[in-house]
Formats: sequence, structure tokens, C-alpha cells
Amino acid sequence: MNILGIGIVFNRGRGINCFENALQEGWQGPAEVEVPYLKNKKSFVYQVDSQTISDKTLLRKMRRSDKLSKMAVLSASDALKSSGIENLSPSPNPSSRHIGREGEKIGVIVATAFGAHVKTFDFLDDILDYGEDSVSPTTFSNSVHNAAASYVSSTLDIHGPTLTVTQFYFSFQYAMQLARAWLNEKRCDYILVGAVEQYGDVLGYVYDCKLTPAPDGRIKPFNFNPTFQVPGEGAVFFLMGRENSENSFCEVENIMIGEYREFKTGVDLNIIDTDGMLPDESVYMQSISPDIHTAAYSPLFGSMMTGSAFNCAAGALMLKNQKYYANPVLDNPHGINILIGNNPPISKGGMGGFSEQTKRSDIELIRCIRYSCHSEKAAIYLRKNH
Amino acid sequence: MHENNRMFITGIGAISAAGSNVADTLDSFSLKNRNAGAVTLFDTPLKYPVFEVNKIPDEHYLEGQRTLSLALCAVIEALNDAHMEGDLSKYRLGISMGTTVASQLNDLDFYKSYRSTGSASMTSVDRYLKGNLAEFILRKIGARGPALTVVNACSSGTDAIGVALSWLNNGLCDIAIAGGADELNRIPLCGFGALGIVSMDLCAPFDRDRNGLNLGEGAGILILETKESARKRGITSDLFLAGYGSSSDAYHLTAPHPEGKGLKISLQKALIDAGIKPEEVSFVNAHGTATPDNDLVEGKVLAEIFGTDLKMLSTKGFTGHTLGAAGGLEAVFTASALREGWIPASIGFKNKDEAIPLTPVRERTVINGRYAVSTSLAFGGNNAAIVIGKV
Repeated sequence: MNILGIGIVFNRGRGINCFENALQEGWQGPAEVEVPYLKNKKSFVYQVDSQTISDKTLLRKMRRSDKLSKMAVLSASDALKSSGIENLSPSPNPSSRHIGREGEKIGVIVATAFGAHVKTFDFLDDILDYGEDSVSPTTFSNSVHNAAASYVSSTLDIHGPTLTVTQFYFSFQYAMQLARAWLNEKRCDYILVGAVEQYGDVLGYVYDCKLTPAPDGRIKPFNFNPTFQVPGEGAVFFLMGRENSENSFCEVENIMIGEYREFKTGVDLNIIDTDGMLPDESVYMQSISPDIHTAAYSPLFGSMMTGSAFNCAAGALMLKNQKYYANPVLDNPHGINILIGNNPPISKGGMGGFSEQTKRSDIELIRCIRYSCHSEKAAIYLRKNH
Repeated sequence: MHENNRMFITGIGAISAAGSNVADTLDSFSLKNRNAGAVTLFDTPLKYPVFEVNKIPDEHYLEGQRTLSLALCAVIEALNDAHMEGDLSKYRLGISMGTTVASQLNDLDFYKSYRSTGSASMTSVDRYLKGNLAEFILRKIGARGPALTVVNACSSGTDAIGVALSWLNNGLCDIAIAGGADELNRIPLCGFGALGIVSMDLCAPFDRDRNGLNLGEGAGILILETKESARKRGITSDLFLAGYGSSSDAYHLTAPHPEGKGLKISLQKALIDAGIKPEEVSFVNAHGTATPDNDLVEGKVLAEIFGTDLKMLSTKGFTGHTLGAAGGLEAVFTASALREGWIPASIGFKNKDEAIPLTPVRERTVINGRYAVSTSLAFGGNNAAIVIGKV
């Protein structure tokens, strides 16, 4: 299974090029936002601004939809475009959204942990303010968990299976795994696999109660314990296909979830999902090797239960561009082998360590690692396309 | 689907207003019992009739987690039916569950407190975070395998069964617990009420005078298993999941495509997946919510694909619309009907709607044949269908 295209919306803009710029530019402080109902309190948030999701052409039929759905639709559309596969690109003509007969061959799988919670709380506002018999039907219909996926298929004219899945830790990994199964079974020729999360003040409050907010707005992914979170929001969609194409990013060689036998041979880089969403992330130390560089990009997009998708996008870019992107935050109290600077690709020495003396070679294999609060592990292995 | 890829249904379990297990449910179907009434689970000014589960057995009752309790009832019944008791960690057992309510943090008291004081107890949040349906079932029964919660509105249960089928086809597990569960909850009751699609009367699927759905609650579970796994366990089954198809209307957030485009595609895909022709289908357990739009579109599409002589019914007159549980429950009902050789009356139906080219069965009806179909149409425009077969 191959990643043919990537679309992304995050706090620093829209599009895979924007994400690549962020990877090159490094860390920038998140915004401080007012928290309604909590006087004199501000929180750091990696928030997507309204300008980023103001595409009036693509979103013209979903003006009343929520931010979650808009972020999903924009990134899904961009993933199709980014693939460069001509008959999959949505029509630029706003009066024709058809992508032709190919629409039946494309599936959609959206992974989310919290879904349309902001709209859900809007709906609760309706109940509290106006009574159970005077609520808004539009707010309700936009609050259902699969609204974002529905907008993706209706806006892009996709008629394949359209699924929303949720799981607090591995929903993105399971979505990828299911996409591979569907491609194997030939249920679809292409699948848009995406992850989307939205920030809201209630969720921010829950984060603050359950986890430790970063006092300086900086997630420190290699601290492990204590951990610090800064809520993020955004969407990443991957266009997946059986065969690679001219613009392919990489192959998804394997997706392992739960109990499995690890294979470390030939891994060039570990990308870990540490982002402060576990109070203790020491479990990640089990997967880190002194011989293999480690990276974590959560300080670029924030803490999210489906942050794995953003890290996978970073891995896919590295494999496509054959270029490493330095860790955005370098605090490293445990002295692990983290990626510093935009190192040129250098071959693995001995067990896979980097050395100036060894000859340069391609980046072949990247492992994206995530743990749950129960210390269960998942890994997505990304391999360079040949 | 290749004959070898058909998955045995080695266990079934169901709980709804129609009965607290499969046997009781079939009795209700036979006796035409409609256990509907006013909402008793929470205070509400809304006077719609609903289909509540009468009693959740104490051993499965979890305070404040009604959806999980319902799921547990059906899962345990299905596991027992599949002769799977004791230590389940020895199996590669996946959990694919559909729901709507259990996916949302929508506790009104929590939010009221947060909104008025800026703080709220984390009790309901903790329940929510520990209450992801598939993860909960996985941990509760000690399974080792994939666990995924499908939140595809009203097709969640059917799609969860489809996900499990793909897992089994791809060797990701040997056995799967698949279906759906949902409780009757204030939020969808208000929401569906606001949409104007809830009836003040008992629902009448496909009837000329139908005027909306009734909400219900419950859980329906299939145990799906590869033939090899069943052989190793020394069991067999007379039922199998033959195929699954799914398609999006890409039309509207709440209304079905007027020509039923997505439903048509999903039925065609399911039949192809099963490797059968429409004429081999002995009956269809339709989504049949009793809303004017759903039943019109669904009736037209079923007639177009299967012909106007098709035996068909909706069981929502017995259960109400159980949302994320509907696909799971109706899969169980479809499997049971194939096994028993009869389908119940499509309760609530009295007068033919001339705009709908076929008529649901009015009485308990004998069926002969090896295959049956269950359909689901969802909010958001997703459509799903499964084909169940009998050996």
C-alpha cells in the first residue's frame, strides 16, 4: 500500500508544502487563546485560524458546517490533488464537483478521537438555553460523529464506502490497517485515510484537568516524565493506493498494533508520538535505540490523540524528499539519540547508528511509534518507494 | 466473495425492547408484541413513544454506562452461543462495534456545571474515556486482537460487521465480535425530534400513513469466525456471513439520495461480494425507519434490484430505531430468520403506499432459501448491506 498524496491543515497553514516549511523552520510558539467561562485565563493552543479554512470555492456548500468538517474536506481534497493523478482531482469548476466514475472506486476512512465535540456542546447549549423541544436541527446534524466524513464524500463526489472510526489511542493506525485490508480485497482502488481533531474550550478544560499544560507553550517530547501538553487541532489525509505513482510519497510497508514481534533491522529513524497526552511517556524508552535516530514533531502541531497522522506525514515527506527534518524541540534530559539539524542522509553504521565516517545512503525505512495508556504499542513502517 | 472466504456465524446475541435475548425476541416477533411507551430513563418534556429495554440483568449493569451494559448483554449471549467461555486470551479475537451515543462526551450535567462555574467533576469524563465501546469489550472479556469502534450513524452496526469481515479476510484475527449497541439518550431524542422525523405514534414502516420513526435501544452481536478456527474449536455453524457492500450517496447530510444511488451500489457490491444473484435472496430485512423519505427511497431501490415480489420487512416496529445498534440487531434477526425459516410480520404496516412498488409482509411468513439481506441507511449518506447465508 502506497501513500500517493497528502493533504494537511494545521496551525501553520494548509497544504503539504506548508507542513514541509514548518518542518524546515522548526518550532514556533503557539497562540494564547481566551477560555470562555474561565475569567482571566488563557491557554496555549496550536489553533487553525479562520483564514486557513476560508476556501470559498470548495466549501461553498458547507457554510453552516463546523470547523472539524471544513478541515477534513480541505485536507482530503488536497490529498487528491497532491497525488497528481489527473482523474482523481476534484474539478476546479465550482459548478461541477464530479471526479467522474472514479468516485465509486474511492473509499473514505476518517479517524478521530473526539469528533465533533464542539458542535455537541453547541447542541447542549441549545438544550440548556432553549429547552429540549426548541433545539436546532442543523446543529444536531452537524454534531454527529460522521459528519466530517460525510462532507468529504459529498463535497468531493466520492461514492465508495465512507467510514468514521474512533478509538482513543490507535484510531489512525486502525484506519490505515483497514485501508490496506480494503485495498487487498479490492473493495476500493484508492482510499482517503484521514485523521481530524478540533480544539474546543471544554476539551481544553478536560486536558488541563487530566494532563499538565506546558507553562511556556512548549511540548518537550523527550522529557517522558513529567510531560507537558499543548492542545492542537487539524486534519491530515492520505490518499492510499495499491500501486505507487509518479508523485508517491512512500510505501506503508506494515502496520502493527498490539502484541507483535518487532523488527528493527534497517530502520533509519524512529518517529515517536510523545506529545504530553500521557502523564508518563517513559514507555517510549522501550522502543528507542541508541543506534537509531529518534524524532518527534508534536511541537509543530500540538497534542492530539490522532497526532500519529501528522508524524506519519513528516515521515512520508522525509522518504519522498530524502531529507531529514530536525527535531523542533531539542530538550533531551535522557541523552537519547535524537535528530539534530537537517542532517544529510548518512548510512547506518554497525547496528544502524550514524557516523560521519560511514558513507551516505538513502533513507529507506521509518518507523512511527505510538503507545497507549495501557502500554500497548502500535507502529507504522514507512518505506521509500523504489 | 470466494466460497472459502465466507465466515461462519458461530454465535448471536441480542437485547432490545423486543426481548432480552434472541429467544425472547423471537417470541415477541411471533406474538407481535410491541413494547413501546413513554420515556422512563430520563426526565424529558418530549412525549414521543420509545422502545426501552425493560431490564438489564444485574450482572451486566454498569452505572452510567448503559450502552456498554447493553453491549455486554449481547456479547455474552453471543459468546455463550458460540461455545466461547472462560479464558478468551487464547484466541485471536477482534472486536468491531458500532455505536453513536457512546462515542460522544455529551453529559448534560457535566456541561451545565462547566458552563455555569468554569469547573466540573471529571466522573463523567472518566466514564467516557474508559467507555470506547470496542476497547471496553476487549478489556472486559480479555480478548487479544484488533478493537475498533465504528461511528457511522445509523449504519454503524452493519459497517462494523463489514470491518470484521475484512479483518478476517485479511488474517488480522480468527474470530470477531461484531455488531452494534446504543442506549436511548436525550441528545438524539432531541435532535431527531428537531429534525421533525420522530412520530408521536407507534412507527409504521413502509405504510402509506407513516409519519416518522420511534427511537429505541439495544445491542446485536454476531460472532464471526473463519472455518479453520471453527474447525480447530470443534464446532460448525449453519449460518455464514456471505458478503458486505457499502457506498456513500455523496448527496446530503440528513436526506437519502432521491434515487437511492448509494443504497443501490452498496446492495450490488454486497451481492457481488457474496457471489450471488438477486433472485437467490429469499428476503430482505430493510432499514425501514418509517420516515417518509427513507421508506420511499429504500422501497424503490429494493423493488428495482429484487423485483416487486420480494419478501421484505422492517423490524423497527418491534425495536424502534436503535441507531448504532440497528445494523447489529437486524443482522441477528436476519440470521435467526434464515435459521428458523420464518420472518415476522412487518409490524405497524397496514396500508400500501402506492408510491412504493413493494409491500412488506403482514403476517409471520415462511421463507425458503439460502440467502437474506439486511440494509442500513445512515445520516451522512452512507449505505451498507450485508448478505447472510445458510448452509
